[in-house]
Amino acid sequence: MYNLHLSAEQLEIRDTVRDFAARQIKPFALKPARIEALDRSLPADLLHKASQLGLRTLALSEDHGGAGADNLTGCIVAEELAAGDPDVASVLAETSRLAHLLFDRAMTGEQRERFLPQLADDGCHLAFADREADHDGALGINYHRPDTGEAEVKTKAARTGKGDWVLSGHKLCVANAPLAQLFAVTARLEPHGSDSDAVGTLLVPRDTPGLSVVPHDGPDRWFHGTCGEVSFKGCQVAGQNLLGRGTHDLLRDDAGRGAPLSAAVNLGIGRAAYEAALDYAQLRIQGGRRIVEHQAIGAKLAEVAIRLEVARNAIWQAAWASDHPDAVADRSLPDLPLATLARAFTAEAVHRAVKDAAECFGAMGVMRDMPLQKYVRDALMCLHADGGVSDGKLKLAEAIVGYRRTGAASLRAAE
Amino acid sequence: MNFELNDEQREWQMKARAFARDEIRPISLARDAVADPRETFDWEIIKKGSRLGFRTMAVPKEWGGYGTDFVTQAVVMAELAKADSAISKSFSQNWKWSHLISAVCTDEQKERFLKPFVADDTFLLGKGISEPSAGSDNRLPPADDHKAGLKLRAERRGDEWILNGEKCFIANAPIGKLFFIDARSNPNVPLREGTTMFLVPRDTPGFRIGKVFNKSGWRFYQNGEMIFENARVPHANVVGQANGSDMKTHQAGDRTGGDIFGDLELAANALGVCDDACEQALQHARGIKQGGRYLFEQQLIQLKLNKMAMLTEALRSFVLRVAWEHDRKIKSPNAGLAMNFSTDVIQEVTELYMDVRGAAGCRMDPHADKLTRDAMIWSHLAGDSVQRMKVARRLGH
Repeated sequence: MYNLHLSAEQLEIRDTVRDFAARQIKPFALKPARIEALDRSLPADLLHKASQLGLRTLALSEDHGGAGADNLTGCIVAEELAAGDPDVASVLAETSRLAHLLFDRAMTGEQRERFLPQLADDGCHLAFADREADHDGALGINYHRPDTGEAEVKTKAARTGKGDWVLSGHKLCVANAPLAQLFAVTARLEPHGSDSDAVGTLLVPRDTPGLSVVPHDGPDRWFHGTCGEVSFKGCQVAGQNLLGRGTHDLLRDDAGRGAPLSAAVNLGIGRAAYEAALDYAQLRIQGGRRIVEHQAIGAKLAEVAIRLEVARNAIWQAAWASDHPDAVADRSLPDLPLATLARAFTAEAVHRAVKDAAECFGAMGVMRDMPLQKYVRDALMCLHADGGVSDGKLKLAEAIVGYRRTGAASLRAAE
Repeated sequence: MNFELNDEQREWQMKARAFARDEIRPISLARDAVADPRETFDWEIIKKGSRLGFRTMAVPKEWGGYGTDFVTQAVVMAELAKADSAISKSFSQNWKWSHLISAVCTDEQKERFLKPFVADDTFLLGKGISEPSAGSDNRLPPADDHKAGLKLRAERRGDEWILNGEKCFIANAPIGKLFFIDARSNPNVPLREGTTMFLVPRDTPGFRIGKVFNKSGWRFYQNGEMIFENARVPHANVVGQANGSDMKTHQAGDRTGGDIFGDLELAANALGVCDDACEQALQHARGIKQGGRYLFEQQLIQLKLNKMAMLTEALRSFVLRVAWEHDRKIKSPNAGLAMNFSTDVIQEVTELYMDVRGAAGCRMDPHADKLTRDAMIWSHLAGDSVQRMKVARRLGH
């Protein structure tokens, strides 16, 4: 059965979030003085309101206090939020994604009991501290070849006599780090018997002595949301904070849930530019008529609409696939990395779309106190995030012929 | 056919290359990073460049300039733009209006304006056309709407004209000493028949500069608003004839078949940016290792570098051909086509450069970032659909 009907709940949450973005996020995010100063500081009050709407814990199961939304709903919400502000959207999407993965899938009942009360707080955000210095996530030179370099985890967790862990190391580019109250940290566990790749994931509360965060900021920042460096200097972590075997793979690979979310944020950027251009093209008079009535502008906006709509279809399909893992087995969907595909298509489609939208504004398209230049910049960020679209295509190229990566890239879980 | 530069052209090229390398490049990124748009400009670089001739090189020798040909100008613009597109434009903007003065001003006007321009290292020129409700309408006035286009009003009162209205997005407005201003002297006829061009010095009573625009690219290059409140301009400052502002016609003295100089200018500037991107991308690919091997070893990197170089060299050929045609006064739509083409090329090449650089961690290289922002300026100046349709209408004429 092919069915594109959204449920009543999905339609309702889309309307609610669209309204929230239009009335509250956009007026804040696009204040001329703010965008002119390239100010990307996050609005704490709006994140708080979003949390009260349930968006921070959207994907967390209802049993654990969340909305239990599937990934398709998550993508619909992420697009709507990002049409208001992609940074707000990214922060909420990351916490929601991790809330589901950690609390619904990775934690033991005992761990959940200890950490769930904290998660109920509207200001509680989550972060996955994985990436290290010298780590190169790009496939690049290793395309279709076994990995040569060791994707080493240098952050160490040494076991004490009491069974606790002492964590030391340094993580880079950790999404949500500046806000996070709880970190899931990838570390090499010592002692580890004979297994030299014993890697595990530890839950580390923000207030752990020895944990410090330096936000990545400045004009060269190239990400959405918030991001930072996290250092662990002899952090004492309780023995029972070690997550189970396979958590690392779960958080990294994410069963295809993360990529559609970031593509949805990307799509929201394109939609904001499209809506701005559509409004302006119906107001601006040149050549004796509204510019939308000129073929050149009309056809340009039509192309923007095509790109965004096709991208949305790709994202929704990938999101739906992550919600229905059996859809490949029953031959409903092709056995392709649909999330990677959606992300690569969306990044290129939105980049083209925002440039076309900006052109409709003439010189105003490049003025800093106008939003168009920001949309172009935001779309470029998506184009070059996580190794960039070229790298996504290489991953896809391996996957379509069934190449399976071996070696250090697929780290084995500890215990 | 001969693609060699002559000795004089080569000499200018070498002089520009050295100035770009030693003086412009070292300040480029710092100027780009200045937050306040009023503070991005640097008079020192203008004075230094002016003393080397880069401000006045398009002024004829008999008026104290260097009388360089179009090929030299194209080559110099590209060399300067290779170090900073906006600084190159800040110099060449003066050439654009030097050409106009030479082509259409009377000797008496040249005496009053060209001489002081040549003598003063800080004398910059500009031209005001765009207005809040008249951008594309000025470039391509609609046949069926005579009211469309600029609204700045000019009314004759004895020996003076009284100007009222405003201009926006005017290059060099915040820093220029002399401006060419298009104003409606007869609002009841189509734009081209009812517009007069005036020479308006900075200190004209009733004329002032408003807002300075804050652009995402070309940050060094100043851009502002002009406000005219009963501004009084002597009749002696009318360029050409009243109601005859269109100087880009054959009758008015243009022999380039284009935009006198402006089309070539944008294409040549883009070429310099592309040269910069190609050189930096190649250096990066040959200098940075991934997994123990140079980026250059990757096929996708090679394909990107190939495309960057291919487009850049095609643009170079086109730019030099147009400059050569201008020097021979050959009328053709090529300048406009080269300008449109330069939009596609500069944007693709700078995007590929950013792609080769990639985001290191969660930071973007400020140089790659700057070049893509500078390249976006071409969208509305050189490559929007109006600029393309305008050139289409020159085809076959």
